[in-house]
Amino acid sequence: MRAMDILQTAQTNMLHAKLRSSLTVIAVFIGALTISLTNGVGNGVKSYVNKQLGNVGIKDTLIVQAKQDRGAAFTGDIKEYNPDKQVGQFNIILMSSTDSTKMKTFTGVKDVTPQLVVQVAYITAGDKKFEMTANQYVDGLNLELAAGQLLGSGSKDGILLPVAYVTPLGFASAGEAVGKKVTLGFTNALGKIVETEATVVGVQQKSLLSAGGVSISRTLAATINAQQGGAQPQMKDKYLAFTVTYDPSFSTKQVTALKKQFDAAGYKAQTIEDQLGTVNSIINSILIALNLFGAIALLAASFGIVNTLLMAVNERTREIGLMKALGAHRRNIFAIFALEAVGIGFWGALLGVLVSMGIGTAFSNYASSAFLKDFVGFKLLTFPLLPSVEIMLLIMGIAFVAGALPSLKASRLDPIDALRYE
Amino acid sequence: MENILELKEVSKIYFAGGEELAALKQVSLQVQKGESLAIIGKSGSGKSTLMHILATLDRPTSGELLLDGKPTSKLGQDDLDRLRNEKFGFVFQQFFVNPRDNCLDNVIMPLVIRGVAADKRKKLGLEILETVGLTDRIKNRANDLSGGQKQRLCIARALIANPSVIFADEPTGNLDSENGQLVIGLLFKLQKEQGITLIMVTHDHDLSAMCNRSIKIKDGQIVGGNQ
Ligand SMILES: Nc1ncnc2c1ncn2[C@@H]1O[C@H](COP(=O)(O)OP(=O)(O)OP(=O)(O)O)[C@@H](O)[C@H]1O
Ligand SMILES: [Mg+2]
Repeated sequence: MRAMDILQTAQTNMLHAKLRSSLTVIAVFIGALTISLTNGVGNGVKSYVNKQLGNVGIKDTLIVQAKQDRGAAFTGDIKEYNPDKQVGQFNIILMSSTDSTKMKTFTGVKDVTPQLVVQVAYITAGDKKFEMTANQYVDGLNLELAAGQLLGSGSKDGILLPVAYVTPLGFASAGEAVGKKVTLGFTNALGKIVETEATVVGVQQKSLLSAGGVSISRTLAATINAQQGGAQPQMKDKYLAFTVTYDPSFSTKQVTALKKQFDAAGYKAQTIEDQLGTVNSIINSILIALNLFGAIALLAASFGIVNTLLMAVNERTREIGLMKALGAHRRNIFAIFALEAVGIGFWGALLGVLVSMGIGTAFSNYASSAFLKDFVGFKLLTFPLLPSVEIMLLIMGIAFVAGALPSLKASRLDPIDALRYE
Repeated sequence: MENILELKEVSKIYFAGGEELAALKQVSLQVQKGESLAIIGKSGSGKSTLMHILATLDRPTSGELLLDGKPTSKLGQDDLDRLRNEKFGFVFQQFFVNPRDNCLDNVIMPLVIRGVAADKRKKLGLEILETVGLTDRIKNRANDLSGGQKQRLCIARALIANPSVIFADEPTGNLDSENGQLVIGLLFKLQKEQGITLIMVTHDHDLSAMCNRSIKIKDGQIVGGNQ
């Protein structure tokens, strides 16, 4: 038989039992819809994360923290007091200039800058005061800006203001805020509120890198820190993290070796990519869980396909017998039924993918204009062609496997038995 | 005359419910090219079994079927399929048609199976439907035809592949006498005009008398007939 005729016969057979076929198609459709939507979210989120990753801006930089051991309260494992262990609030293990000196000796390390912890109480541009969190800006970090510019390494009192602060602080627009002076208020080591001036150098969009806080220059962070923790004897020269720049000519292998060196010395060193990669792996595990629902739906649909085809084989026993008597090969009969199964898979998958694209795109557009408004360029669901085609192929493959048993049964029918069959 | 089909001591044993049932016992038979042969006998005597073995639809338990003098027992399934498709035509008692397909689609089935191109098989299909007088029913579903028309459709389907042998298992068994005459007339006409070998299972003595030769089967053995 010609392939075209086999396909045609399979399709005709499917259409001859419209109700039965369409019910099975619906079952496949539900599975396809679930899987396609889940993957739509996955693609949307991952492509945004990757866009951010590609955009980090700082290369050849590691964020280094001391390795934390879990306290006795968690492990029940009481440790002997160690005067050299530098701990801060909540028993977080801190680092000092001794550590930074040590890090500078590691092969390939160019520069080590402390990340200072500062606690700012409020920000104001006039009468009203607003709460804020401050992060020391990591040189070169490519935050997305709505206006202005990033902070240069020489910036004295520069800050990057999140776009959400623009209106509350009384600026007409992001552009309007750039160059304006604001006041930051913080509590000093003596418990008194002190104010310091800062200049808005840029206004940042919401993104994964911004983490919602106000980025302040290194100098400004140092000024504030000197009056807070730095003024307390037990917190002087104590740091939560260092940014370490390494030789830009380093290969991935060498970077891995460098990280190992940090690891062996009791530090945890991560590139910004590593940190965002953690986000990716969390997203992945959520997606796997969601895909499980789709898989269960497809499993149920597979049994639907088996059932539909068994009924079809029973119904057409005579027809099969006749075809075999007239010279059809076993493999022809197998192909006719297997293709009917694949056809059911195809239509269910096509409908599922198309409908998920419709619903997903509409919802994604709504999300971008509502709760994801501040994340510029973030599309919650995207449906690139290749993954959608892969989903369809996968489902057609599952349908084929489900159809194999009934098809085999059909192909093995003895023409005489089939012709005697009433 | 050469033998188109020959059976050499063919037996067919069925195993049903732990018991052996010999449907055919050491049957030897020669069928000449172009002749018409009637197989007669009581119900359950083994007529259909004999026909199925001659038509390679069933394999004998022992013995050999020769086609054009060549043994068939060594042939693989694919070869047998091809052989049936190219050399044999079938007409069954219960008018086996695909009820949901139209007449043209029913009639071209052997050509679809053979892999003939669409336009060519359509042309042949229309010709053959004219031969059996069903030209005005081309687009009708086979289910909507009368019994006589269905059987003519089956004859057309058997003919389209240009076979050397037509096997007919009680072709008039489900027809009234008028339609039966029509179908029989058609079969004999083809046999004579195109030199097709006709092997027909029948209960009807008038019908068997019309054949060149008849054999009688009883309990799986040939017990006579008019040779
Ligand atoms: N698949 C089978 N399994 C077991 N026994 C079978 C099978 N097919 C046929 N038989 C038996 O073989 C014998 C011959 O059957 P066959 O169909 O050849 O008879 P027949 O002469 O064609 O009868 P009828 O005129 O009623 O069609 C019968 O006894 C039948 O029950
Ligand atoms: Mg019979």
